[in-house]
Amino acid sequence: MAKGRELKGRIKSVENTRKITRTMEMVATSKMKRAQDRVTAARPYALALGDVISRLYSPELAERFPLLRQPAQERRAAVILLTSNRGLAGAFNANVIKEARTLLARLEAQGTAIELHTVGKKGAGWFRYVGRELASSRIDISDKPTAQDASSLVEGPMADFIAGRLDSVYVVYAKFNSVLSTPSTSERILPVAPPSSAAEQRDYLLYPSAEEILTELLPSYVRNTVYRGLVENTAGFYAAQRTAMKNATDNAGEMLNILRRTYNRARQAQITQEIAEIVGGAAALQG
Amino acid sequence: MLDVSVISPEAVLFEGSVDSLVAPAFDGQMGILTGHAPMMTLLGNGELRLGAAGGRRFHVEGGFLQVVDDKVRVVTERATAV
Repeated sequence: MAKGRELKGRIKSVENTRKITRTMEMVATSKMKRAQDRVTAARPYALALGDVISRLYSPELAERFPLLRQPAQERRAAVILLTSNRGLAGAFNANVIKEARTLLARLEAQGTAIELHTVGKKGAGWFRYVGRELASSRIDISDKPTAQDASSLVEGPMADFIAGRLDSVYVVYAKFNSVLSTPSTSERILPVAPPSSAAEQRDYLLYPSAEEILTELLPSYVRNTVYRGLVENTAGFYAAQRTAMKNATDNAGEMLNILRRTYNRARQAQITQEIAEIVGGAAALQG
Repeated sequence: MLDVSVISPEAVLFEGSVDSLVAPAFDGQMGILTGHAPMMTLLGNGELRLGAAGGRRFHVEGGFLQVVDDKVRVVTERATAV
């Protein structure tokens, strides 16, 4: 029963693989939940900051802030691409990279020079493979990105923007809407888009002044956008990894069913054949 | 009572009612009691004290404080419980 033994080996191997993917699925699920909590925890800060900025914002003030300067044309842009350090997450990284390529193509078509910054091994790997020069590439940002990670990432481009060396800065990442919806998104973080609706105006006492408060808060706002990108991307990554591992586990289960059926059939065929041989032998003896 | 929330980029560190607070404004300590006029101020680095002696304390760095209708929002770049 050579075929039977071979099948048995394969069944064992698929069972082991399924054990691994199921464990990875559970690990990804718990990491995703934690990452998701961080996304939720980051929301109040972003809301509070956005609210205050829209209260203080006025078109007359806007002209005095370099971060709100709307350049007439984009001559130089920076793109910050957020990817993961690890794989096994289905098309997660491929999707953000595709989004980034679309953005790069669009910017290049209008004659914009681009400097590309990547976060995560996967993004750096791909762009190195196609031979594109990277302005910076970070692989040291962990599963639990901090506000400091975000500011170290965006400080350089922000200074270049203020100095006029850049006309815009984009972040490409997977937005975390829900576990099942993590669309790749490119967001322009600089210049800061003026708040769309002016919040109700109240007479606030402002210390030291609206202008100085904005001077402090606008950079915080930009840093926070990047921080949110980082946490949402992490949550999106684990959501993708969980889905990928769940699919792998399901597929392994299906494969096991087929293998077991084939194995049982082969075993039954052998038994039938042996009985036929015995019966045939006995009949020959009786002759 | 004042409804106070202390918010950092990573999390909401405190949410609750206190009767007063002392915050490190950019130019020195600032005390806030109920019935304060609507106000926004930048924060410096220092200790944020909620309530009277023995209340919660945080070390905050930068950000701003907003008071309106007895609701106080302390939004800071970095905050650690002391």
